[in-house]
Amino acid sequence: MPPQPVSAASAMAVDDIQAIERFLRDVERRALRMAELATGQREEALDLVQDAMFGFVRNYAARPPGEWRPLFWRVLDSRIHDWHRRRRVRVRWLGWLGRADAGDEDDPIAGAPDATEPGPLVRLAGGEAAAALESALRALPLRQRQAFLLRMWEGLDVAATAAAMRCSAGSVKTHLSRALANLRKQLEAHR
Amino acid sequence: MNPLPSEPWLARALALLDESAASMDAASRARLVRARDAALAQRRRHRHGRVIGGGLAGVALALALVAGIGHRHDAALVPDARVQGADVDADASGVDAIDLYENLDFYVWLDAEQQSRDD
Repeated sequence: MPPQPVSAASAMAVDDIQAIERFLRDVERRALRMAELATGQREEALDLVQDAMFGFVRNYAARPPGEWRPLFWRVLDSRIHDWHRRRRVRVRWLGWLGRADAGDEDDPIAGAPDATEPGPLVRLAGGEAAAALESALRALPLRQRQAFLLRMWEGLDVAATAAAMRCSAGSVKTHLSRALANLRKQLEAHR
Repeated sequence: MNPLPSEPWLARALALLDESAASMDAASRARLVRARDAALAQRRRHRHGRVIGGGLAGVALALALVAGIGHRHDAALVPDARVQGADVDADASGVDAIDLYENLDFYVWLDAEQQSRDD
């Protein structure tokens, strides 16, 4: 069968969808690891990444592809912060109301990181070093961990990291410096 | 800008993070694929909706133009009232002419009668 004629607009649309798919495919695994380190729960992390993909596609996919990377991480960072905020509010309300009326569904302990679930790094063959890294990363404050992962692992520059974290470049440098100091203290012993 | 640190512990940490992303379990990979497909489907629906919306707007505009042109064309075909009145008069005078022709003998006799009375 001869190829069907394709209009310029529909060809551009196909290219557009394929470009977004390539981009999401490239970042999705690191996004899941980042969300998993932030929540300590695989299912919650998957939900956050899915929400971030939807939010990114809905709000930013029409932007030039060169702007996608910090924008995607910005959406995910926002979802992670929302998740922590909701969790804090739930814990506070349950604290005020007393936990006697709370069902299992609202149990803040159920929303806390599962200590028995092996983290994304513990499952690696690296064993002790991987477990130490995961423990050190989870012990970091959220902003420090995000600065470290976005700047050092994802490779965003300071300005893009600041855009993703919705803060100033100076704040990024401060968070990153503290994160590196904390991680160095924890991980140098595992060289 | 300060250069990024390149200490051994950091290189090892980043390598472990890369490894954790590369060696993801099948269930998580499948879930990510579903999430990605759902997000892209949303994008396709959005584009499809825009195309259909644009198409419908175009069709509506075309229909409005056709209706407008048709209306103007119909208006051009409707005779002017003044012309219509003239046509009616012309028709009326035509009727009179036929009447005169059909009753010509009567009018000739009437005229002769009138002249004989005058004489």
